[in-house]
Amino acid sequence: MPVDQLFEDFDDIADLAEGLDDPSPGARIMAVIELADNADPAAIPFLAKAIADQDAGVRKQAAQALTDFDGPATAAALVSALDDSDPAVIEAAAVSLTELKDPAAGDAILPHLDATEEVKLTALLAGIKELRRPEAMGPAIKALAHASPAVRIQAVGVIGWLQDETALPALREAAKDADVKVRRTALSALGFSKSEHAETTLVNGLADPEWLAREAAAETLAKTGGSQCVAALRSVLDDDYWQVRLKAVRSLGKLGATEAAMEIAPMMDVPVPNLRKECAAALGELAVPETVRFLEKYADDSDPDVRKNVRWALEKLAA
Amino acid sequence: MPLAQTATTVPVVVNDDLCIADKGCTACVDVCPLDVLRIVEKDDGKKTAYMKYDECWYCMPCEADCPTDAVTVNLPYLLK
Amino acid sequence: MDEILDGLTQIDCDILIIGGGTAGPMAALKAKRKNPEANVVLLDKANVKRSGAISMGMDGLNNSVIPGYATPEQYTKEITIANDGICDQAAVYRYAQECYGIIQELDSFGIRFQKDQNGEYDVKKVHHIGTYVLPMPNGDTVKKALYRQLRKARINIINRFMATRLLTGEGRVAGAICVNTRSAEFLVVRAKAVIMGLGAAGRLGLPTSGYLYGTYENASNSGEGYAMAYHAGAGLANLECYQINPLIKDYNGPACAYVAGPMGGYTANAQGERFIECDYWSGQMMQEFFDELQGGKGPVYLKLNHLAEETIAEIERVLHIVERPTRGHFHEGRGTDYRKQMIEMHISEIGFCSGHSASGVFVDEHARTTIPGLYAAGDMANVPHNYMLGAFTNGAFAGMDAADYIADVDYASFDMGEIDAERTRVMAPTKRDDGIPPNQIEYKTRRLVNDYLQPPKVTAKMELAQKRFEEVRDDMESGMYVRDAHELMRSLEASTILDCADMAAAASMYRTESRWGLYHNRVEYERDDENWFCHTILTKGEDGKPAHKKQDVKPYIVEIAEDERDAYYKQRVGASSVAAE
Repeated sequence: MPVDQLFEDFDDIADLAEGLDDPSPGARIMAVIELADNADPAAIPFLAKAIADQDAGVRKQAAQALTDFDGPATAAALVSALDDSDPAVIEAAAVSLTELKDPAAGDAILPHLDATEEVKLTALLAGIKELRRPEAMGPAIKALAHASPAVRIQAVGVIGWLQDETALPALREAAKDADVKVRRTALSALGFSKSEHAETTLVNGLADPEWLAREAAAETLAKTGGSQCVAALRSVLDDDYWQVRLKAVRSLGKLGATEAAMEIAPMMDVPVPNLRKECAAALGELAVPETVRFLEKYADDSDPDVRKNVRWALEKLAA
Repeated sequence: MPLAQTATTVPVVVNDDLCIADKGCTACVDVCPLDVLRIVEKDDGKKTAYMKYDECWYCMPCEADCPTDAVTVNLPYLLK
Repeated sequence: MDEILDGLTQIDCDILIIGGGTAGPMAALKAKRKNPEANVVLLDKANVKRSGAISMGMDGLNNSVIPGYATPEQYTKEITIANDGICDQAAVYRYAQECYGIIQELDSFGIRFQKDQNGEYDVKKVHHIGTYVLPMPNGDTVKKALYRQLRKARINIINRFMATRLLTGEGRVAGAICVNTRSAEFLVVRAKAVIMGLGAAGRLGLPTSGYLYGTYENASNSGEGYAMAYHAGAGLANLECYQINPLIKDYNGPACAYVAGPMGGYTANAQGERFIECDYWSGQMMQEFFDELQGGKGPVYLKLNHLAEETIAEIERVLHIVERPTRGHFHEGRGTDYRKQMIEMHISEIGFCSGHSASGVFVDEHARTTIPGLYAAGDMANVPHNYMLGAFTNGAFAGMDAADYIADVDYASFDMGEIDAERTRVMAPTKRDDGIPPNQIEYKTRRLVNDYLQPPKVTAKMELAQKRFEEVRDDMESGMYVRDAHELMRSLEASTILDCADMAAAASMYRTESRWGLYHNRVEYERDDENWFCHTILTKGEDGKPAHKKQDVKPYIVEIAEDERDAYYKQRVGASSVAAE
């Protein structure tokens, strides 16, 4: 076999791009695939052209291919594809938008954040989220009023990633959303804030009718801390859902809430090993001498993870 | 000691109406880790991909990477 | 395509990397970055775009050591304990120190790790005191992202060439002999350094379905790395520590305790009772699993039907999208709904894979094997409990070390007769007019592996296995027959599988004690720390058969207290505990 046939090719981009003018859609799809495989940014303008092809298959392939590239030109091409008539093209473009990493790519997304159509706005917000562009804050707050929960979840995501205290009122409002997934996302997003308002919102979240929201609140309170959180977390140690109890125990441990130790200690008797493990770890973190007897009882627990956490906790207590 | 011709049902199915092998596409053939797919010329002179060797890990890159959604990966009968 | 052609091409490169799955691409990128002048060649018997264990992606990292969540000391301790103390800690410790850098690098490639609603890493607490599991929401794009990096770095990629033997000379590595899987043309690559990342020996045991390719591991990982290292004279460590995993029966994909466990799923027996509490994979856990299956309380199930609807939906989303997407089809075909039925599980066929156990080509903390210039990383190298991140990280170590190594050496000279001999060996099945096809050689070898090597290990059965393997080898060498280049690839795999079976039997016979739970349960022997607290190193002996020696476990870097050493024992649910909610 000739040596040059052994290796994968790096063809000239302009040569490959000629395939985009082929009358057959199949051939144009192949050209798109080869352009993407070359991983050369010089292919971006050609792929941007292909994303406006008359054939939906070519457009979808181009939207997928742009996943391999970044920057404003890539983003602009993907944004244009969100107005496509074919849902498959829109879906591919939406996925590729979330793969952008270069903050400059946001330049092509920001001007379109006034969109109102559900799928389009969801994709744009999801795309801008990880780029962390402060200019997205205003449009994201506005999008919290959108009728679609999918849009509102992404809007909360954008705000949460920006970690800006001035957005707290909006997040607190979102924590009262009608949709539980929006509430859960908003409660989790409050984790960056050290303010009393955030804490209050999370404490209220512990009384949410849905366990998914209570779980998020219990978990996030460990990050915000504050004067009310320990009492509030102690109040959900008897929640109906062990998932909520587990997060409350973990947060109390992280917060060093020694006053909760004797409430957590008897929870070592619960039959859920995940929860016993968490209790042991929390008791280690709290290191309250009175809890030793509860831990010792489980030194030979049948779950090795529980045993290890118990052992670790007892070491912490001995130290 | 002649070899037998034993029939076997294959897990990977290609819709040859959608397949664009004729345009030079070999995406599914290229990505198969076990290299079990090939391109064949049909009676009408057009080409299509097909499963030549029944040695499938049902891992799906052929289905996922097909640009025209022509490929379907079923589970091999022996284990489904 | 597939027609057998006669041809031989020779090329030279500085670093040859065999295997384009996980470790290989990272080794290539790191070597090239460290020495941009170096001629780096990445070779794969499949296509690098979709080759290796993570062909379709991975749902998360099982062993990430992220500052603030776990420490290198903690991690090293955990891994040492999980391997019954038989562990050279230096490689584990270095991995633990440097894997976070690799995570960040993977992140920059576009492989996304789960972050919380403030954009910070979201590490799931799964096992032990440390926290190691980091989900990957777009894990299905791993291979794509890696490939993109390789293309950007202009790495020379050779697809569809299968390396069959390493070349050595002057006491070091000299290159490799390869054969095209679609034309049978030969390629000789002279190289100053060779990095092997050829994955697990996944086609060693036969899955219970009887389908040769229905394996737990990607079936293209047939163990060439082990066989090539063996024939080149490298040492292989602890091969008796098999890989056996708890899997979904017949489908043979992972049951994913890492995903379901933290959400409240667990392994239950036929009565729906929990019988092992820790779902972290270990030899002890597998022993309990095996006992339950054999003891009349089976089948064993993954139980999810007690969980909240939201939780089940989340588990489905993760499990059915990434890693093995056909899983959803499988359950659908059988009418299994996680909400209603438990999911039948079973234990996998045996294999070699350090990803989940501790066996493999012996390497140090630089991924160097016992042959100068030869490196190994990923599932085939013996750094224990590697998983995917271990393959990336140790692959990086290999690439960086090799970039330095080549600066000071020229090509090693080797005996040209080796090439002729290898061509004759490889092509022999093409020279016959009829005979036994490779799939029958393979099936018989693997069926014998199941009959005689699967634990519990019995000396008399293993002796029978050795005798039968010799018969199969005679048949293979004198009568295997192929009709095209594709079948020729399968014949080479059959030969590799037989080599691995020989090694599995020999290594298991050598260690006359029981260790690592089910993995090396030798029914006639108890655990014996006095004589067997050591590595076993297998090499190719003067007589062409496996030779063995003991090798001390290096002094620990992180001390393990006496009472911590049994942490993985006693996994069975005690009388005092009650079924989970």
